[in-house]
Amino acid sequence: INHIVHNGGLYKRPFNEAFEETPMLVAVLTYVGYGVLTLFGYLRDFMRQWKIEKCQNATEREEQKDFVPLYQDFENFYNRNLYMRIRDSWNRPICSVPGAKVDMMERVSHDYNWTFTYTGRVIKDVINMGSYNYLGFAQKAGTCQEAAAKVLSQYGAGVCSTRQEMGNLDKHEELEKLVARFLGVESAMAYGMGFATNSMNIPALVGKGCLILSDELNHASLVLGARLSGATIRIFKHNNMQSLEKLLKDAIVHGQPRTRRPWKKILILVEGIYSMEGSIVRLPEVIALKKKYKSYLYLDEAHSIGALGPGGRGVVEYFGLSPEDVDVMMGTFTKSFGAAGGYIGGKKELIDYLRTYSHSAVYATSLSPPVVEQIITSMKCIMGEDGTTVGKARVQQLAENTRYFRRRLKEMGFIIYGNEDSPVVPLMLYMPAKIGAFGREMLKRNIGVVVVGFPATPIIESRARFCLSAAHTKEMLDTALKEINEVGDLLQLKYSRHRLVPLLDRPFDETTYEETED
Amino acid sequence: MNVGVAHSEVNPNTRVMNSRGMWLTYALGVGMLHIVLLSIPFFSVPVAWTLTNVIHNLGMYVFLHAVKGTPFETPDQGKARLLTHWEQLDYGVQFTSSRKFFTICPIILYFLTSFYTKYDPTHFILNTTSLLTVLIPKLPQLHGVRLFGINKY
Repeated sequence: INHIVHNGGLYKRPFNEAFEETPMLVAVLTYVGYGVLTLFGYLRDFMRQWKIEKCQNATEREEQKDFVPLYQDFENFYNRNLYMRIRDSWNRPICSVPGAKVDMMERVSHDYNWTFTYTGRVIKDVINMGSYNYLGFAQKAGTCQEAAAKVLSQYGAGVCSTRQEMGNLDKHEELEKLVARFLGVESAMAYGMGFATNSMNIPALVGKGCLILSDELNHASLVLGARLSGATIRIFKHNNMQSLEKLLKDAIVHGQPRTRRPWKKILILVEGIYSMEGSIVRLPEVIALKKKYKSYLYLDEAHSIGALGPGGRGVVEYFGLSPEDVDVMMGTFTKSFGAAGGYIGGKKELIDYLRTYSHSAVYATSLSPPVVEQIITSMKCIMGEDGTTVGKARVQQLAENTRYFRRRLKEMGFIIYGNEDSPVVPLMLYMPAKIGAFGREMLKRNIGVVVVGFPATPIIESRARFCLSAAHTKEMLDTALKEINEVGDLLQLKYSRHRLVPLLDRPFDETTYEETED
Repeated sequence: MNVGVAHSEVNPNTRVMNSRGMWLTYALGVGMLHIVLLSIPFFSVPVAWTLTNVIHNLGMYVFLHAVKGTPFETPDQGKARLLTHWEQLDYGVQFTSSRKFFTICPIILYFLTSFYTKYDPTHFILNTTSLLTVLIPKLPQLHGVRLFGINKY
């Protein structure tokens, strides 16, 4: 599916997203692969049961074998028969700060990944394509680090109290004013944990009798928050505005399920960049729909704040829209600012309400002062208020890296998902054996990547996910691309059947979609 | 592989049979089984067809109606732990395309087998009983039903 949209004036620049469909032969071979692995899994389980093979998993003691089992064996089937074989591609121990390059401990396994031993050698300078380090603030020396060290000696390591009791420091107030200025909203509030920001604040905003329309591929924190709130949840297809409009129309026409009363509130939950697909939300259309049907919008910019837009202000600036159109702007400080925590920005009445009614504000500890200082310094750097142009240079470097990397990978012939401006680049692998092979081959060539398979993704869409960073220089990207090219030839990963289409830049009159397939 | 396991799909098992290419792989698998059985010189054509039918129905029964739960941990808090794969398909919605496909496949195989065995009585009894073992659990009335407490937990 290839979308190039010029929706009459809603989009000021071409919105180019592509999700090429799995080639049929590849899909069939993937299923055959999983089938063979399943059959071998059953065979090995049989051999372990009859003691022909040693069972390396944790088992109950002899005295407890007659009791009702605590866990179902079958739930662990995938874990012990598929995941264990390729387990060395995940949870790799590192021994330096995960910036653009990272040092990893080398480990070997003599019993097929059931146990690991360290050889003692440290693999130095592995190019890190897996960390969410979009603006390169994950560094151990620099202005941010010095400021944070000073605040650490002044304020201490932790606050040990909630915001409402004794944990409200002047640093927190400074941070919140800065975040509000950064986003262009009236007021903001910061929390200690990004996941908790979503899961604890959505229940404060909506309750029973409200409707939540959430995207198919929303993050677990949004899903958990929506479930905890008690509102009715309806799911629309990923980034599909026709599906969203249909749901909105049905909701307003039919009302609540049994009583047909009007809904108290309709809240649309979307994310700025979806980290598994690399797609960007169609924000202009969502805002147009929201205004037409008078509902509210909650935008989770976990991955897009700092990474999109000419000033790094996120997906709202990327599309050239006004931040007042989005009712609740949420984001995290983990990805682009090199810190931890989350924030919510919006109108003053909303944030004042959240300060008293949100679970995170009342019961959770507030942000720790050195982390707050890191956020303040990095945010000032991005905005240019520290007197240098370092921030602007970083944002531009990230955008250049994104365009360059994606273009080169597409030219090589890999299938890449997502929008051409998103710094998250999923490269499709499809077959289960290639997941493990790709991870290992890339590590042999000194590049660290993240690979994901079923059940985190659909069964025929396993992928390797690259996260680009402003700290990657062009030489690092060229090295990485060369190695990816080699591994792609070795593992036959170049499935793409499209040649690069030149971008069409002529203005259209009405909504036009150029799709090759639906 | 729980990297970023974070989407609204609580039980990926429900979508597996709808994925692109699954039906084709299934048909090719049955075809392969049949060709392998035809290649063994001891089996005549009717015996090979009956064996294909019986083995296919046996495999379908084991994987769709006997094995319960999911091979991985799901975030749905164990709702699907006591359900067979057939009952999990599409979260229990009946008469979806996958369910129709997997109901029709054994029936077509049965027609072909009856033809190639020339309606011989022994083969007929074998094939019909095996078809019934695989068709009856698919009825919507038997959703979640466990006869005589077999396979309940």
